[in-house]
Amino acid sequence: MEVLRKRINTLKKQILSGKSISSFLAASLFFYFIISVLSAKEITAPTIYFYNPEANINNFALLKKETDSYLSKFGDYSFQPFNDKNIFEDSVSGNKEALFILSSWHYNTLREKYPVKPVLIGVSKGKSTHKKVLSVKKNIKNITSLKGKKIASAGNREYTRNILMQIMGINSGEIADSLKIMPVPKDIDALMAVGFGMAAAALTTEESLGKLRKMNPKHYQRLGQLGRSRELLLSVVAVPRHLNTDDHPLIRILSKMGTESKNKNMLRMIGLDGWRTLTQKELDILGQ
Amino acid sequence: MENAYTKGIGYFRTMKKSTDKNRFTMIHYIPIFCLFSLIISGIAFAGERNRVLILNSNMATEKYSLIHKEFTSSISEEIAELDLGGKEIDTTEIGERIDTINPDIIFCIGSRAYLSAFQTAGDRAIIFSSAINWKRLPMRKNTYGVSSELNSGMELMMYHYFFPDLGRIGVIYSLKHNKEWLKEAIDNGRDLGLTISGRPVTKPEELPKVLVEFLPEVDVLWLVSDPVVISSKESVMEIFRRADSLKKPIYAYSKIFADLGALLVISADVPTMGVQAAGLVHDLLTNNEIPENVVTPAGSHIILNMKKVKEYGIDLNEEAMDSVNWMIQ
Repeated sequence: MEVLRKRINTLKKQILSGKSISSFLAASLFFYFIISVLSAKEITAPTIYFYNPEANINNFALLKKETDSYLSKFGDYSFQPFNDKNIFEDSVSGNKEALFILSSWHYNTLREKYPVKPVLIGVSKGKSTHKKVLSVKKNIKNITSLKGKKIASAGNREYTRNILMQIMGINSGEIADSLKIMPVPKDIDALMAVGFGMAAAALTTEESLGKLRKMNPKHYQRLGQLGRSRELLLSVVAVPRHLNTDDHPLIRILSKMGTESKNKNMLRMIGLDGWRTLTQKELDILGQ
Repeated sequence: MENAYTKGIGYFRTMKKSTDKNRFTMIHYIPIFCLFSLIISGIAFAGERNRVLILNSNMATEKYSLIHKEFTSSISEEIAELDLGGKEIDTTEIGERIDTINPDIIFCIGSRAYLSAFQTAGDRAIIFSSAINWKRLPMRKNTYGVSSELNSGMELMMYHYFFPDLGRIGVIYSLKHNKEWLKEAIDNGRDLGLTISGRPVTKPEELPKVLVEFLPEVDVLWLVSDPVVISSKESVMEIFRRADSLKKPIYAYSKIFADLGALLVISADVPTMGVQAAGLVHDLLTNNEIPENVVTPAGSHIILNMKKVKEYGIDLNEEAMDSVNWMIQ
């Protein structure tokens, strides 16, 4: 840095004193070189883009801080979470080098719009799938009784409605439309909202319901379940289809994340324990 | 030099000249046209009146601005907005502006906005939010709100989720402000296998003595919003100093205590409160039944102090980490 500063000062003095045109040209070339190097670095720094409609994640600042800190150990990588689907999709469409972390549900709609392919799948407790469960107050005995009621969910409205339709059946569109979806930050908030009377129903993962059973058996017993979704794949890491993924450094870094205990917290913020490559069956589900 | 304005006058003059020959010229239509326009715009204005007004105590306050934003994005109605913004606007002027907007519902953010609306809004429905200790607010039949305080059962469940081994929870409180709340918290704690014990204080001066006697009996001190206990900056510092000297963690309700060294802070999630307020507005506008006028926040915001976890050697349930919003480390 000191050498660089001296060189700049020398060039500045030579230009100001008007000693030579060649000094001016040298200075221009020098600054052009510096700017080029800096901007090239900015453009090519590989980034991981993140968006998940299944989780109303509101700890982006912490998630970004932790992930950037982890990635910085391996190189000039960065992590960019989004809470807006359209902006995220714009990033997908305009980026040929980045990695994208997204829900498998979103991936299935995204792959129809943009050429992407999955490279890793998230796992939690050794499984790459989970089920969503519709929990209700004990006095609600069937889907029809839910009409017009409030439902708490950590997913966004579009995702929640889609899963509800899957659970409630194709003929329950009118009931699904009548439900008032209340997005909450976490699955556990959704379940507590039912127990404490802020909502009539909650859409959460089975795992979260299991946590509630352990945390507060009495509260758990106050809830009933009206249905479950089919097995849904967890989040995936996708890349632009043309990208050569052989020994890709960022994919390698992500796949090793779950093996070190100090990274577990970061993964837990997005509901995972780690990443692994996809099986043929998982690729088939994702339309590959 | 001719400008657009003179051009206009010129054009008007030209037009007048060219029609002078006519008995009933264009100029005669202008007053009729103006009157007609006024009537039409009046009808349109009455039809497009904003039915909802947001009265914000101060948009510059981060949490007020956050709830404002979330409320606005969760509602399909056109909304009028009035930011009191720390300005010296007297109640009469606020009343006049509310009358001009003439909303059916006023969503108030912060106590100042609520109290102003309460005095001036007549029989309009008012929804409050971000008001500390809402039970002290004056209320009418058509007052609704989103409380800023989480249900103690919710708080305890989250706390227990993080620290299942810290089962003896101590609360220093005043009988005047938190007697009923403590009774409910003890019941909720019992459901979770937690032992909650309270130690009442009647005046701030009693605090140091109570801390000395009470802290050794508990695993964690639960700091609650109580004006007798948290009577000054000094009293807060005293609580944190004494607890730290005994390595007793503090579990608190506001992020300001996180910076002072609280182990865990659980507070209401502000954006969710905006969503809930929008839900109340929707129910009012569609004449849906509203079971309770004041709703409890449905979302939680959690700050975990990992420095204290390590310093005090506390066992933490790592599964709970997916619920953390901010971590101090």
